[in-house]
Amino acid sequence: MSNSSKKLTLDKKQNLTGWIFLAPGALLIFFMSFVPMFRALILSFKSGTGAALNWCGISNYTRMFQDSVFIQSIKNTFFYLIIQVPLMLIFALILASILNNKDLRFKGLFRTMIFLPCATSLVAYAVIFRSLFANNGIINLILVKLGILSQPYAFLTNTWSARIVIIIALLWRWTGYNMVFYLSALQNIEYSVYEAAKIDGASPIQTFFKITVPLLKPTILLTAIMSTNGTLQLFDESVNLTDGGPANASITMSHYIYNISFKYVPKFGYAAAMSFLILILVAILAFLQMKVGDKRD
Amino acid sequence: MKKKVLSLLLVGAMLGATLTGCGGSGTTDNSASNAPATDNAPAADTSTNAPADTSADAPAGDQTLTVWCWDPAFNMNAMYEAEKVYQKDHPDFSLNVIETPWEDVQTKLTTAATSGDLSTLPDIFLMQDNAFQKNVISFPDAVVDLTNSGVDFSQFAAGKVAYSVIDGKNYGVPFDNGAVIGCYRTDLLEQAGLTIDDFTDITFDQYVENGKKVLDATGKPLLSMQAGECDLLMMMMQSAGSSLFNEDGSANIVGNETLKTVMETYKQLRDAGVLIEVNSWDEYVGSIVSGDVAGTINGCWIMASIQTAEDQKGNWAVTNMPSLVGVAGATNYSNNGGSSWAVSANCQNTELAFDFLASTFAGSTELYDNILSSGALATWAPAGDSDAYSVPNDFFGGDAVSAKIVEYSTKVPSNITGVYYYEGRDAVATAITNYINGADLETEMQGAADTVNFNMQ
Amino acid sequence: MTKGKKFLMYLFLIIVSFISVFPLYWMISASTNKSAEVISGRLIPGTYFIENFKNLMASQNISRALGNSFKYAIILTLISLVVSSLAGYGFEIFHDKAKDMVMSIILLAMMVPFVATMIPLFQMFSKAGWLNTTIGFILPTISTPFLIMMFRQSARSFPHDIMEAARIDGLSEIRIFFQMFIPTMRSTYAAAMTITFMNAWNSYLWPKVIMTDANSQTMPMVVANLTQGYVTDYGMLMLAVLICTLPTAIVFFCLQNAFAEGITGAVK
Repeated sequence: MSNSSKKLTLDKKQNLTGWIFLAPGALLIFFMSFVPMFRALILSFKSGTGAALNWCGISNYTRMFQDSVFIQSIKNTFFYLIIQVPLMLIFALILASILNNKDLRFKGLFRTMIFLPCATSLVAYAVIFRSLFANNGIINLILVKLGILSQPYAFLTNTWSARIVIIIALLWRWTGYNMVFYLSALQNIEYSVYEAAKIDGASPIQTFFKITVPLLKPTILLTAIMSTNGTLQLFDESVNLTDGGPANASITMSHYIYNISFKYVPKFGYAAAMSFLILILVAILAFLQMKVGDKRD
Repeated sequence: MKKKVLSLLLVGAMLGATLTGCGGSGTTDNSASNAPATDNAPAADTSTNAPADTSADAPAGDQTLTVWCWDPAFNMNAMYEAEKVYQKDHPDFSLNVIETPWEDVQTKLTTAATSGDLSTLPDIFLMQDNAFQKNVISFPDAVVDLTNSGVDFSQFAAGKVAYSVIDGKNYGVPFDNGAVIGCYRTDLLEQAGLTIDDFTDITFDQYVENGKKVLDATGKPLLSMQAGECDLLMMMMQSAGSSLFNEDGSANIVGNETLKTVMETYKQLRDAGVLIEVNSWDEYVGSIVSGDVAGTINGCWIMASIQTAEDQKGNWAVTNMPSLVGVAGATNYSNNGGSSWAVSANCQNTELAFDFLASTFAGSTELYDNILSSGALATWAPAGDSDAYSVPNDFFGGDAVSAKIVEYSTKVPSNITGVYYYEGRDAVATAITNYINGADLETEMQGAADTVNFNMQ
Repeated sequence: MTKGKKFLMYLFLIIVSFISVFPLYWMISASTNKSAEVISGRLIPGTYFIENFKNLMASQNISRALGNSFKYAIILTLISLVVSSLAGYGFEIFHDKAKDMVMSIILLAMMVPFVATMIPLFQMFSKAGWLNTTIGFILPTISTPFLIMMFRQSARSFPHDIMEAARIDGLSEIRIFFQMFIPTMRSTYAAAMTITFMNAWNSYLWPKVIMTDANSQTMPMVVANLTQGYVTDYGMLMLAVLICTLPTAIVFFCLQNAFAEGITGAVK
């Protein structure tokens, strides 16, 4: 045995070390995610009420395309995705680079304040947003006082305004969260790089696009995949702010899946099938993002 | 079970050192009733979880029942009072009441029943009346038939018991009363030259007329409702004994004249400015307590929220709800909300659970007297005769509100909840939203029917 | 930077901070008002704090819930950081085609909505006898694709020349990880710790399904309890929410300097 181990080249040994390092994490994910996922996949080919299930082929998958509420939920979710994720990431990036400024005062205070929204518990944030956008809430009060509206507007019960409130809520809650990753990644860029750029006469905007963005590429990729995934699985805001309304205008895919599993007469096979559609959609998007962003230079 | 061995090894290797202390304390905290079942669970499949098999394992001396319910001031308080009442004759008896919000009760019940491991369920849990049909039909193995449990169901209001009867069997012991009341601000009515009598035994046509007078005199609508929730529609439906489903379970939406009238009435109320739609439940309660509306129509449990507006004490009065116009069987009485106690199939000592429920919630006027102050009104007829129910309530102008509501609850027409209640409700909510925004009523009703039928496939 | 630009920058930050903090202010102010006042939109602090506090203590076991939340969140965060950073490091430093493949597969794991895997997971845990145990509570979220990927991305900037030098000096791989990687990546660890602690602290659905005992209630469960029932006491609710929010805010405030000040300088 000792004989053979001596024969291992350095490369092979390192390769093995790598596997040992990643084994605990990878195995845990295998058992905690892939095993249940596989069981859910089997479930997606079954149908029936409650706990009594029978094989039904791919009927759960064909059913989705006749389900008008589910189709509506896909449209809503993609609307959130397209508008909210780019806005949020750009905004987070700008905030992070401002807060990374060496000469800025009260940095710690600003950072904490901007991070706080994502630490705020969901319950509080839902109550607060509902009251802000209520018919007699502050937003309406201000808009009426300024003469922009002649009478209060029911933000949460009109189709487009309900969707926009959800996007605003998401931006509010998650921008600081993403900023944290950019801030921590910015530490890996040496400050001398910025000094050099400054001496070369680069404007802050040029520095941002020519230095900050390229060097943060791995982190931007991470946050982009995370946010895409988070938005496609969006649940809390739909449930707590608008309850999917008005008339399903703001319901998300996960919210509908939850209803099918727990609110309505449970159809777990169908819920699992819809979940796999989400999986496929996220996987495609993540794959595209990886293709664009995960090159080792 | 290679997988299991592997995962155990993995867990042991990774976490052993860190976790032994905490893991130990976590497991020993198991409540008494859960412990034996957890050990049996891996070997048992769904069928062996039936009460007849497992009750044999129960330790004979165990006099503790675990209960899930969700409101400390209300149904949890009721359970504690019931414990006290039962302890008088059974000194060894005790309850372990675990605060569990309704949505979590539903999630846990669904998860446990679907997995075939009921060991996480308590002995008794509270279930929303509207969810009874759905849960008993979906998970028949998870709850126990109470028909022969010794509870006399004939002493409860018939409309209330009907929620938890499936295939002629009783699955729930009725708890709180959801009889619909109309609550009005008498001080505001006065400004419009009206009194509470102008709102008693009226129709919705008269209600709209009165509402316009109040609006002119005070600038305040009579009623606020949460947009996208069809509570009011459902109350109106039941007041005429109608529902979204037929006896055989099929959808009764297209061609349902009552539903059509209900939706038209709702739009009429809204268009007249008598009804104002708000965005959320918080805003609904807010509109009442901050005096933005002159009244409300809801289940009698809404009184507890109204009474938080202490500055409005004495300015409120309670009467019955308006009736629908031009509908056969229209009444001034309906029901909204309410819940009943179910016994889970995980209950190891069903004899004890049955006897406890039969001698408290279905057998003790003392219990109902004790919990009346918390707003828990009985649907158990003998309780209503108690003197406690005729005590005047100063907040509501010195009226004996409790006795009034018990009387209302006996007049509520029973209707068919339907297994697909929540599907139907959401579909109608979508229809009414589109209808009040100008869509065609017939088309929307057809759309709602299509959605419900699709969900029933 | 000119004075005008500087002024604009501060103004921008102040506006953003105000928008971010306003709801928190509202929460604090609401916890000092009566329920009816909160719901009527009162914004200024009142005098009802003591009553709200008394009511909350009477209705919920706050100290038990805080104790449980801290216990679970701390255990979970520590184990999770070690397991996930080991894996992320392994994936990046020793990367080859096979490991990149495995990484892509692992990423798939975070893309299935939890609603779908919850019931199969519950079945597995019930067979393993892990219902109502700490292991059952924390096991599913110890290793997350997100953390692994985060550490993998940050390991990309771990200077290879330092590592080579250490190897030549005869340091074992595991010592390189613990003695060089962890200190160098302090900023990443601090960020990861904040996020993991926050997620662990706020986790709700799974704990609720698997922990049915009153003794294992956590703060988010207490908050959820308060929102149910026929009457919501908003003043008391907001106080509970405030208590539930503070620990994460404090953890962030304490750790932020580690990931936002010049760490790189110290590595050299």
